[in-house]
Amino acid sequence: MAKGLSRRGFLKAGLVSGVAYKIAMLAGPARADLVETPASRVPPWVGPDGKARFRYDAVAKVTGEKTFGRDFRAVDMAGWPREQSHAFMVFGDRADHAFEGIDLSVLGAAADADNLLPDRVVMGADLVRDGVRPPSDTDGLPDGFYGDVFLVPAGETPRFLGQPVALLIYHDFARYDAAKRRIRFDTEVVKWGARTAPNTPGNYGTGRYVRIGGDRPDDRDVYSPLDGGTTVYGRFEGETVVWPAADEAGDATARAMWAAARLDEEIADAGDDVLVLTREHYSQSIDASAMEADNGLVWYDLVTGTLRAVLGTQSPYETVASTVSMFDKSRFRLTKFDLSIGYTVGYGTKDHSVFPFFAVVAGLYGEGRPVRLALDRFEHFRTAMKRHPFWMTSTLVVDRTTGAFRVLKGAYRTDGGGRRNFSPEVSLVGTSAAQSVYYFPKSDLSVASFASRAVESGSTRGYGTVQTMTATEVLVDAAAAELGIDPIALRRKNLFRSGMKNTQGAVPGGALRNEEILDRAAAHPLWRDRAAAKAAFEAQNPGKRYGVGYAQVQKDYGCGAEAAITTLSFDAAGRLTMRQQGMEMGTGLTTAQAMMVAAVLGRVPDLYDYGATRFPEMPLVSNEIPYSITQEEQDRLAADPHWTPSYLSAMTASNSVYYIGHATRTAAKALLALSLWPAAVALWSRGPGGGQIAPLAVTLADVRIVDGMLAGGGLEPLPLDRLAATAHERGLVTGVSVHTFNRWKWATASFDVPGVGPTTLPIDALSVQYGDGAPPEQKALMTAGGFHFLPRTAVDYPETALNNAGVTYYTTVGTITEVVVDTATCEVRVTNHHSILECGGQVVPELVSGQLQGGLAMGIGHALYEELPLYEGGPSDGTWNWNRYRLPHAADVAVWKQTSEILPPLSDTDPPKGMAEVVMIAVVPAIINAVADAIGHRFSETPITPARIREVLP
Amino acid sequence: MTIATRPLSLVVNGRQVGPLDVPENLMMVDFLHEYLNLTGSRLACGQGVCWACTVMLLDTDGAPPREIRTCITGAHFFQGRHVRTVEGHAERDADGAVVALSPVQQAFIEHFSFQCGYCTPGFVTGATVLIEQLKRQPVARADVETTIEAALSPHVCRCTGYVRYYEAVRSVILDTPGLVVG
Repeated sequence: MAKGLSRRGFLKAGLVSGVAYKIAMLAGPARADLVETPASRVPPWVGPDGKARFRYDAVAKVTGEKTFGRDFRAVDMAGWPREQSHAFMVFGDRADHAFEGIDLSVLGAAADADNLLPDRVVMGADLVRDGVRPPSDTDGLPDGFYGDVFLVPAGETPRFLGQPVALLIYHDFARYDAAKRRIRFDTEVVKWGARTAPNTPGNYGTGRYVRIGGDRPDDRDVYSPLDGGTTVYGRFEGETVVWPAADEAGDATARAMWAAARLDEEIADAGDDVLVLTREHYSQSIDASAMEADNGLVWYDLVTGTLRAVLGTQSPYETVASTVSMFDKSRFRLTKFDLSIGYTVGYGTKDHSVFPFFAVVAGLYGEGRPVRLALDRFEHFRTAMKRHPFWMTSTLVVDRTTGAFRVLKGAYRTDGGGRRNFSPEVSLVGTSAAQSVYYFPKSDLSVASFASRAVESGSTRGYGTVQTMTATEVLVDAAAAELGIDPIALRRKNLFRSGMKNTQGAVPGGALRNEEILDRAAAHPLWRDRAAAKAAFEAQNPGKRYGVGYAQVQKDYGCGAEAAITTLSFDAAGRLTMRQQGMEMGTGLTTAQAMMVAAVLGRVPDLYDYGATRFPEMPLVSNEIPYSITQEEQDRLAADPHWTPSYLSAMTASNSVYYIGHATRTAAKALLALSLWPAAVALWSRGPGGGQIAPLAVTLADVRIVDGMLAGGGLEPLPLDRLAATAHERGLVTGVSVHTFNRWKWATASFDVPGVGPTTLPIDALSVQYGDGAPPEQKALMTAGGFHFLPRTAVDYPETALNNAGVTYYTTVGTITEVVVDTATCEVRVTNHHSILECGGQVVPELVSGQLQGGLAMGIGHALYEELPLYEGGPSDGTWNWNRYRLPHAADVAVWKQTSEILPPLSDTDPPKGMAEVVMIAVVPAIINAVADAIGHRFSETPITPARIREVLP
Repeated sequence: MTIATRPLSLVVNGRQVGPLDVPENLMMVDFLHEYLNLTGSRLACGQGVCWACTVMLLDTDGAPPREIRTCITGAHFFQGRHVRTVEGHAERDADGAVVALSPVQQAFIEHFSFQCGYCTPGFVTGATVLIEQLKRQPVARADVETTIEAALSPHVCRCTGYVRYYEAVRSVILDTPGLVVG
């Protein structure tokens, strides 16, 4: 292991700080490490036409198989004890008094035969004594990311409302269940001492993007983060943000502040030729309400120091690394960690959640028995990460004559609650997206992320952009109203078009098709005929107001350091095996990745290993600092062919179809080029005179898969099984493993592939497997998990300056929404909506439209129904559930009427784009704009509840 | 320590269960999960508002089966009763392998009705109960959509936005002879 490589560098090799680890998928058809396509007598999920008949995991899910982590018990786990304990947490409901202790007398006295006292009580003092603290120094995790204590020690004031103070463990379910029900809403169990000052952590972070473009969009920027500038970071003085000093001749930060000051002057000195419109907007805290509440099942074997766990997480590698880090500082010994992960769902909130570590803590105190910590909904509301509330002040400067946008200034404030988590990152991503689908010649977008006594906010579908783009989309409609311009016409004048720069100065990858979407929206009957429809509806429905609104947004996908591995190989019988890290979170990854292979090779794999984390065939190391590495250091380390900026990414940020899919598609193409094509040429060349291929000029580019056979150029189609047999017989390449890295651009590298020659691919590492007939000396090279690791001969990594780009990959959606406001009940009903999505090439159209429909429902919930108070009386008080937190139901989403269209790709080589986040966003401002059309009031906060309607109706 | 228990016997998915000593206050969903290891009926809200945990009550004296929320119904309510959980809808062979899905299950998978699948067992139950009701009391073709809305409206799905569930149920109703009139 090279010097200076991190804990995570070790992790990738199946060993972290000397602890052997293994991660395996549990769920459904992927229950074993390597499983065959489900062998039920239900017809196969892939039809004879090569298309998915249904989801890969469909039968398991529709028949109630154990698929979620929550479904598993100790008795389901091979080699685990059958005796299992159950735990629940006691939560504090104050953050202004010192915690004194707990009084469990409500559960009876120890002498009582029918007491419900726990078999084990774990308090903060136990954890302090045993050195059990939340992970804090795992590489890449800032201090305080997971908070500083699991359980508040007696004498200390909780950091935030609802912070756990004790863990109660029961060795039988019946008593656990009865005890939990008895004290669930009992506010006397937790005892409080003296009133104290708040114990809130320090505020979390700030960021600012300033850009002054040239005279024309493609002129060089006067100032931008990407073009010689930087992202600006301020500091906190108490609750005040202090930004650095401005200096035109100073460093990049000082010049940014100089540029910001110029924009302030321009706004202040604006003349009558421009409209200066300033609006406030508040986007509320919500609970993502993943239906599977947080849970974990953990067995810590005291004798051997082995930890076994079943956890629902979107970030298993991080969970492993951080758990080991946690043990390092404790009195507990860890020799081995087997993590089993079920299918899960979190909409982002199970990415880097602290919950799995609470489950580990429960396991530590199980006295050798497996312990299950499975939250109910009330508890989940208390603990699950929330969507960040944003308070936003936006100023738009518009030329009154031309309608051209001149300046966007956004000053945003977010509340991250009592643990840091990803608060600064979510805040900054939201800020980077505030421009929505417009080109702004000048912009100054800043954010400050505050700590508070609220339940923590974290990664949630949309990642800050639901909030900022909603503010911008509502502001644009307000400007259109002020200027007397049709909202779509104003959008058209200012669209972000291909080749233009974003507010960080980066040019997005590929074509921006904003105008096509806008054209379709403008021509749609819901929009085109809205005035007549309003008049007709209101004439026929006295007391009801009709409105139509539109919004269009674009959302980045990916995290700016996306790393993936896919391994594809076949045996001599032609059975195709795929290994990759992708996990199923409901989005259909296991279906879509298989279909990507089919698109290249004409068939889905026969064997799958999803959720893999150990890739001995890809022996790479990483220092895992892709965001902060210097160009010089990257250049130096890149000379080592075993080095990569990052090994594997978590499942997040809508990254599966494009980024992980890139590894899958590239591996399939590489297998075609390096294996099947040479095998085909060998077969076509048989016979006198060089065989049937000799008279022709056929190249790899001519090859097509037709009816599951390799064909093209007029040559005899060859079945893949025969090609596999030939490749094995001749010792050709029969398997490939690729590692990919993307920092808003793909790494590319060259390799000298034995038997093929120099090959350049959009990957940074390649291993190959040779067939059974390969000579012994060639087989001897297959030392990396049965593969031959081919050191790259050259590599081109994306430059580190791209870390300032913010984002370069966008997916776009426009949504027209029709609402009816009942002036008697003050309810807003969404009665119809139409969405237009551009997401590149679709892999499985049914999954795409399902995501779209689901995202729209979630957006409708945000706009109209869902809301959490932040502090006292909020979710931390333990009384929140779906009876009072209103989720959208079918009747709320125009279930029979809603329609959508998806732009066809520009070519059949357009890659698919991540689209699971963007689809929920446009509908939020579209509803606000529709309500404005209906009643003449443009709301500056969500949700638009009957109470808020009542306040503004005359 | 002891918790008051009572013997409980019932039929689950055609199989006689019990008598088992079951706490008097235990909810059915916990009985299914912790005593029978049938975890397909999902606990999500625990207060009867999301309907992810429902099962079919079959012994209804000739009336259509009923959909029961197991998170708010005590296990002992089912003493002597016949219930079908989501695990009991598909036809299975002697080894428990699925031989054929029920029409509702088949429609859900073909319509890509679910994503995470946590709510799916409740939708399978609710839709199947509806189909059974319609076998006894068909509805006018024009009322199919409102009938589905009325039957399934309490069910919460957080991933897929309901459209594909509702379309799947509509297709089953329209494709099954005798469920609609007119």
